Amino acid sequence: MPTVLALDVSLSMSRPVFQQDRSEEPPTVRQLAIKGIHALLNHIHHNCKLEFAALAVYSSMYEILGSFTRDFDQLKSRLASLAEYDKSCVETALLGVKAVVAEEWGSGTACQVIIISDGSLGVGDSSLRQLVAGSRLHLPFSFPCRLDVVLLGERAELERRGAPAAFQRLVELSGGEGAVHTPEPPLSAKSTLALFRRLAETNYAPFSGVLHCGGLSSRVTLCPPPQTYNRTRDFEAVKRTVSPELRICGFLSVADVASPPAFSRHLVLPAPSESGDAPGEPCSEEDENARTACFCVLLHGGLKRENAAALVNVGEDWYGIVYSWADNKKKANLMLSLFEPGTNVLPWLGDFTNLGPAVPGAPSPFPIKVSRKRSYQQTCVTWTRQSGLHSDVQKVLRHARKLPDKTQNFYKELNRLRSAALSFGFYQVLESVAVILERECTLLPGNAHPDCALQLTHAATALRHPEHRQPGKPIQPLSTRFQQGS
Amino acid sequence: MSYPLSHKTVFVLDCSPAMERPCGHQFEMDSLSKGRSSGLIPLAPVTKTMWTCAVEAAVEYCRIVWDIYPSARLIRLIANGAQAVSVNDWTAADQHLTTLMQQLAGVMGGVRSAGSQHSLHAGLAAALHALGEPSEAQRADRAADAAAKVMNRGRVVVVSQLADDGQARRLREWFADALLQHNRTADGAAGRLTVHSCELVLVSVHPDTAECPVTPRPPAPLSAILSGSVVTAKAGTQLAPMMMNLVLSHYELASTTVTGIPMKEEQNSGSSANYDVELLHPAKAYESILQGSPADHAHLRTRRDGCEYETITLKWCTPRTSSAELHQCTSASRVTPVDVNSRPSSCLTNFLLSGRAVMLEMPRRSGGKFVSHMLAAHGGEIFMHALGSGRSVLEDPPSVSEGAGGRVTDYRITEFGRLVSDNRLAPGEASEEGGVPLHAALERLARHTRVWPMTLSESCLAALPSLDSLTALLVKDSLSTDEVLECKKAVYNLVSMEARHEPLPVTTSGARGRGVKREEQYRALWSELEALVRAHCRSDGHQAALECVLECRSQGRAAEERLGLDQAMEELDRCGAPVQDSPLSPPPTKRWRRDRPPAQLSLLEMWNQRVDADNALKRLEFSGRLNGGDNNIVKLYARLDKDKGDEVKK
Repeated sequence: MPTVLALDVSLSMSRPVFQQDRSEEPPTVRQLAIKGIHALLNHIHHNCKLEFAALAVYSSMYEILGSFTRDFDQLKSRLASLAEYDKSCVETALLGVKAVVAEEWGSGTACQVIIISDGSLGVGDSSLRQLVAGSRLHLPFSFPCRLDVVLLGERAELERRGAPAAFQRLVELSGGEGAVHTPEPPLSAKSTLALFRRLAETNYAPFSGVLHCGGLSSRVTLCPPPQTYNRTRDFEAVKRTVSPELRICGFLSVADVASPPAFSRHLVLPAPSESGDAPGEPCSEEDENARTACFCVLLHGGLKRENAAALVNVGEDWYGIVYSWADNKKKANLMLSLFEPGTNVLPWLGDFTNLGPAVPGAPSPFPIKVSRKRSYQQTCVTWTRQSGLHSDVQKVLRHARKLPDKTQNFYKELNRLRSAALSFGFYQVLESVAVILERECTLLPGNAHPDCALQLTHAATALRHPEHRQPGKPIQPLSTRFQQGS
Repeated sequence: MSYPLSHKTVFVLDCSPAMERPCGHQFEMDSLSKGRSSGLIPLAPVTKTMWTCAVEAAVEYCRIVWDIYPSARLIRLIANGAQAVSVNDWTAADQHLTTLMQQLAGVMGGVRSAGSQHSLHAGLAAALHALGEPSEAQRADRAADAAAKVMNRGRVVVVSQLADDGQARRLREWFADALLQHNRTADGAAGRLTVHSCELVLVSVHPDTAECPVTPRPPAPLSAILSGSVVTAKAGTQLAPMMMNLVLSHYELASTTVTGIPMKEEQNSGSSANYDVELLHPAKAYESILQGSPADHAHLRTRRDGCEYETITLKWCTPRTSSAELHQCTSASRVTPVDVNSRPSSCLTNFLLSGRAVMLEMPRRSGGKFVSHMLAAHGGEIFMHALGSGRSVLEDPPSVSEGAGGRVTDYRITEFGRLVSDNRLAPGEASEEGGVPLHAALERLARHTRVWPMTLSESCLAALPSLDSLTALLVKDSLSTDEVLECKKAVYNLVSMEARHEPLPVTTSGARGRGVKREEQYRALWSELEALVRAHCRSDGHQAALECVLECRSQGRAAEERLGLDQAMEELDRCGAPVQDSPLSPPPTKRWRRDRPPAQLSLLEMWNQRVDADNALKRLEFSGRLNGGDNNIVKLYARLDKDKGDEVKK
């Protein structure tokens, strides 16, 4: 996930750090922080090539030094020329983070936020304690996040001032994912680097797994690494992690899958083989990799050719699809869309465990039809507005005017209206429709079919008859000797 | 297992004599036959009773809920007449509009309350009783784990004409007591659930012509487990929109108005006009798009007349045809039109149900617009897909050809495409052994990929189209007699190809494919075939196919072995010659063996050679020839010529 680094540049960060080794000039806290950031960015660059990072500095104001980019050298160069500012205020740091994330990613993308400070809590009204007490912190963020705080100071000194606890409160307010980190005493370049390295290794661990397709397989990495699913749903709290074994269960056509909602998306990249026995030139090794057949490439080609997606089991009751995806039309790659955990998350595909081998050549069984029609798919009755009632009465009238051809339709609509009126207890409308039908009868032209008058009168009488106020007694057409076949 | 408050809702519809009074709002009926003829006596307008208004509003509430949440959001109706009559049940079969309408018609006749000692208590008690009954899901939970605590929550909506605030207060107090009482008895009794939390919504309706005697109260807690609110509405005109407000807040729904839907005019089909359709759906459809400060998207929101909720207006985009494209979708929510039977609504729903998808555009505050949603029907249900917008963390991804295996050009893509289409999934039946269909699919995929070379260069078999039928048959679970015959036919075909010395299709790339002898190619092919058939040997039919391959292969190998013996002898001869030429070794006994007759010699030549060889053994070789130079040719009487020459010189 994209990273925002927020570096404290208040005056206290320029304090020199006492070193046991007196041969060199003591570094300032800020210099240590910059070293740490360099180490972190290098780690991300090597392990997660497609990650973005942004850099903000804060004191009583904030400034975005570099918005989200994959060009980390640019961020590093910005760090080289920093000015010194006044007091530290975490509130502005959070505002800065919020602004830069909202501008780039909106609120749907999870971000990693790392605040780097010397642990000064600020003074007066804008101090961390006051902010927490007055709940003036803009937490949690509108986007899902993991908030880590790095406090560069002597651990004992920090604890004496209560800094770790205060910042821990910040982490909790942000949603609880993340932690406060302090370097091993004594504070030095070495301990700082160790801290950042540890942070990088835990938070930027690349995903490593195997994509299986029956007997074929390929070692893969997912980019960005999949996050743990941890949500409270309507009926249960669900926590799932993606298993390193990704198993293709079968294939579905892209049209049948029909743009399913995804919890997250990941590029599926073939992982380089871990053969350490031939430490040749890195260049030639890369070349060798590119020339060794890889299942991912074959899968991509096959899926693209067939316009299909592979259903993949990624963990306990957790599924996704792998398909060919192109950012622009040129560069296509394999993409994994993870669904919400569960086996029945796409109604139009049904339960995933219920999917079995299809008979080759059979027509597509998807989408799975709903067992009972929704209101907009059937002729339901709503008369809360006058127009609803009018259109239903008009339907009856339209058929009434086409008697005797539309006798069946006339009675069908009439009974539909009748049963709705009975359900709603709206008996007055039955009387009104009876009057309208009688009126239609008087308006019949002289050359009208004799059946018209008979059916209309019959229907009007039946609407008023108590027998047809029973739901199970629909009005039947009057059998006359004018009807066809008699 | 926790159940949300909206899992169970009970409507108590009061059927007192007061509710049987007209609602005061009139529906005119005269315009229906207008234009037919003038001079008729005008038709009297019709008026609904307040009861009818209440039933209609409750049914509409159910329609919306069941369209959007087809399961797990249950509603029961209780008609409170002379006694409380339960209209439907918690069962899935009863949670459907058509069923409900029939059930309503069934109870409608019998619920009239005659006397004046009418009270809502019976209805409220019945509602509590209903909440105490476990739903199907709760029952299944308890059956699965008897000790599990089932969180049972629910909502009671009472629609009645309340006399004053005092009556509302008394009802709330009575209900709070009854709830405590219910929980006390429910704890012990089997099959009854404690109600852990409940919301009581009192809807006081009054005729449109009258003043409302009750003051509305916003939702507020009444006790630790009960909260309550009072809303009021004019029965004829306000109740239905008010129920919409309730359903939106009770189920966290949001409203979207699709604007600019082009529709042909009913009267003259040549012209078309633009219409709007309002849809309801879970609010999560906007979850990832509309966050941040409300001011940022105030420009999207409007309020319709008479409604308390806001609707978000999105613009219709005339659909593109390509449906076989995967959009970056973050959520899909069921929708239902607000005015389900109106012409624009049914036009839109029918358009979608016919299989087409519509993109919806959202205007940006800064100007411009972007496609934010897609409306599409799947299997008879309409969904609103929220599409990813804004920058993606996956921008500028590497191409598949840049990664590992990207430079290999002879992947068997076509064959893998066939594998994909052979391994498609379809809903299946659970097998008798209880295995889920997905396991069968996994097993089939494993069978199909047991032996599967990825590139053409690593397989001779793959390059031979005549063996495709064999490969297709072998992956089957078992082989019928006919299929075994087919397999054998393919194998025999290969045998005859070899016998005819037909060249195998040489793989274009790959170092091994070029310049290899035909015999070697066939040998590799046979061993690959054997490995393939052996790997698939899982039934008697497969065994028969394997035996056939082994048999054919052993015949081929016998020929090969003879060839090998000859070669070995040739080599032996070749290296044997210098040994025989050593001065110590005896003269060769069978010299002709060395010059074994090449195949193109005629019989006569061979005979002569043999005779010559025999003769050579019988008599001593002419010494001149033994010492002779090239081709054993010696000039006779060489000295004679020399002597002659000497005389001439002299």
